[in-house]
Amino acid sequence: MKKTIFAFLFCVSFINAQAQYNNMWIPDTLSGTTFNLNIKDTFKQIVSSGQQTITGGINGNFWGPTLFINKGDVVHMNVKNNLNDTTTIHWHGMHLPAVMDGGPHQTIPPGTTWQPYWTVKNNAATYWYHPHLHEMTEEQITKGIGGLIIVRDAVESALALPRKYGVDDIPLVLTDRDFSSANQFQVVPYGDSMLTNGTLRAQYSVPAQVVRFRILNAAIERSYNLGFSDGRSFSIITSDGGLLNAPVAVTKYILHAGERVEILVNCTGQNGTSVDLKAYNSLLAGSVAGGENFTNGPFANALGKKDFNILHINIGAQTTNPITTFPTTLTTNSLLSAASANVTRKLTMTDSAGVPGILGPNAFILNHKLFSLNVNDYNVPLNNTEIWEVSNTTAFGHPFHIHDVEFNILDVNGVAPVPAQAGWKDVVFVPGKVGPNGTAQVVRFIAKFDDFADSLHPFMFHCHISLHEDEGMMGQFVVTDKATGINNIEKNNPLFSVYPNPTSAKLFVKMDDKNASAYYVKILNAVGRTILMLPRPDLSQGIDISHFAKGIYHLILTDEKYKQTASKTFVVE
Amino acid sequence: MKRKLLIFFTLLLITFTLFSFKSSINKMILDFSLKNVNGKMISTNSYKNATGFIVVFTCNHCPFAKLYSKRLNDLHAKYSKLNVPLLAINSMDSLVYEEETFELMKQKAKKDKFNFPYLQDTNQTIGKLFGAEHTPTAYVIWKEKNHWIVKYVGSIDDNGEHPEKATPFISNAVDELLQNKNVTEAETESFGCRIFYRKK
Repeated sequence: MKKTIFAFLFCVSFINAQAQYNNMWIPDTLSGTTFNLNIKDTFKQIVSSGQQTITGGINGNFWGPTLFINKGDVVHMNVKNNLNDTTTIHWHGMHLPAVMDGGPHQTIPPGTTWQPYWTVKNNAATYWYHPHLHEMTEEQITKGIGGLIIVRDAVESALALPRKYGVDDIPLVLTDRDFSSANQFQVVPYGDSMLTNGTLRAQYSVPAQVVRFRILNAAIERSYNLGFSDGRSFSIITSDGGLLNAPVAVTKYILHAGERVEILVNCTGQNGTSVDLKAYNSLLAGSVAGGENFTNGPFANALGKKDFNILHINIGAQTTNPITTFPTTLTTNSLLSAASANVTRKLTMTDSAGVPGILGPNAFILNHKLFSLNVNDYNVPLNNTEIWEVSNTTAFGHPFHIHDVEFNILDVNGVAPVPAQAGWKDVVFVPGKVGPNGTAQVVRFIAKFDDFADSLHPFMFHCHISLHEDEGMMGQFVVTDKATGINNIEKNNPLFSVYPNPTSAKLFVKMDDKNASAYYVKILNAVGRTILMLPRPDLSQGIDISHFAKGIYHLILTDEKYKQTASKTFVVE
Repeated sequence: MKRKLLIFFTLLLITFTLFSFKSSINKMILDFSLKNVNGKMISTNSYKNATGFIVVFTCNHCPFAKLYSKRLNDLHAKYSKLNVPLLAINSMDSLVYEEETFELMKQKAKKDKFNFPYLQDTNQTIGKLFGAEHTPTAYVIWKEKNHWIVKYVGSIDDNGEHPEKATPFISNAVDELLQNKNVTEAETESFGCRIFYRKK
């Protein structure tokens, strides 16, 4: 009898254990060279019962599709903003022209389609896209707007790595959220609930073989100290922007906001067992986001300084043609040498105390000033190789992100980076100083600023904690090409014509000067609403206006050479 | 001790001030008139027998607001007979949002068979008057000494996708008011698509 009761209780507890998890959602995929992304206000049943949560989604009702792109391809993005608000979409980690970058200057008004395109120059790795509207980034990311980008290349494709998306190659987007009593997202730096791919208490089944997880820290603020509940070793194969030279075996790894890693976990021979991927955040220092232990105030949260589950993993049957071993080598990275640098730029991270114009005593700032959209911080000459030395005198660590380039970390407080970070990176964690009398913590990285000179549109650098970024912990630089300097030349407005006019399908633009090209074309309707935004358009095939309603429109063209604008009116009938 | 008391009373004052600014309950609403989708002006003072109104701020394009068309028809069918008609108001900026034009409001009212007036708040003045921040946001205003007083503000109910599982906040509030009772749950959280007000 005792045995029966015990067996019954065991079954009940087993069922309960299963019931406490939700099957993890896997983002849809899009591949090819043209991508249609429809950003919208929507809603989703995230909390298991009660009211749906108001969310932002791209094509779907939370987050967005994973974009598969190939190195060397030219990719075209049709980004339609159907949100209630202006937004931007930044292609995080992508090496592309500033005018396509989707930073705070490339705003997309509601109802407008933005069509950036670029040649994929990045190495195979996991990247992402997300809103970057100044002072609104935290709110728009909280809604769930964003998505992953997976770049493929010949080097990665030649390796025996798991590559079946959602089967043995699994994306994990890590965030945490706070819910109101009516199940609505709160715009706060730390949430009480872990969300993995938008799923609360996520579980997923993987085959008993080598499994690859592509992990993005998409949190507003929190870092995650990744590890498995059985203490098993796992191997890191990429840093943010490409493969490492060889897999790096670890048992714990701290992933900061904005960073990505791809890891290999060997589940061979473990069919029928389960293991948890966890955040061991009780081990984080108080100066690392998520390692603080606030009991009240705006930063207090249920996950602070605690260990918690990220994913409950059920290991099932092996697939056909499984990968069962880790490769021993991955690639050969040619890292930049410190000796090749033309210049060292020194940046500071400080508390805002005493800096005029800042509300409250505890904001963090770069270079002793608040970010301003109208102030350019650096002119970086095209083809410069630069060392950026970031010195942090705040008591808090900040994940520093730079647009345009992937960089190599030279050292952290004079010490070479750990093997898992000795590759291509676009976010680097700059530790906080230790103790009230501690010294500044200094990170140096090196990057080459080839391609994409643009005197008008800047690239950004900032703390990737969205709260800090929104509060002004950001700066910007333009890449300048002296060879095409135009300072003392008379700048004429571009002369051009549009035809046919009226039109119904395509509109062609003809520049009077055959050597002139368009830097930007915007089309506005009669009431001044922006309909289409075309950075550096290829005008040879004409502009598709077949979906435009009948009426009067204005085409505003900025030319590439002088960055001067002129407009023409045309009619769609 | 004196200092502690001072801090306590300062905090109390701040809390009270914040609360009284935020809540719309018992706020007085003046009569207003707006253009209905049939082209005619609708005015609150033309409803001679009305004891109250259900005022719902909604719009054409908001996915969450779209879930409620049938429920709004049902509310109007039930309560207009009891002299509490429903007025739907669109305060979205139709210059910014193409989907919110008067023409598309007409189409929506026809498609969703609205049995209640769907009014355009062209200058966004009525949205501001109520303090509506999202679509959908619902108000119940009630006649007291010839003035309209806000008696309920918040969500229409607590389950957009599953009406059968929802607590009907609006019905509950109107039922209580019709019985001359105070509204038990007078204020709930409202959310949905943000109404951005044009800067003057």
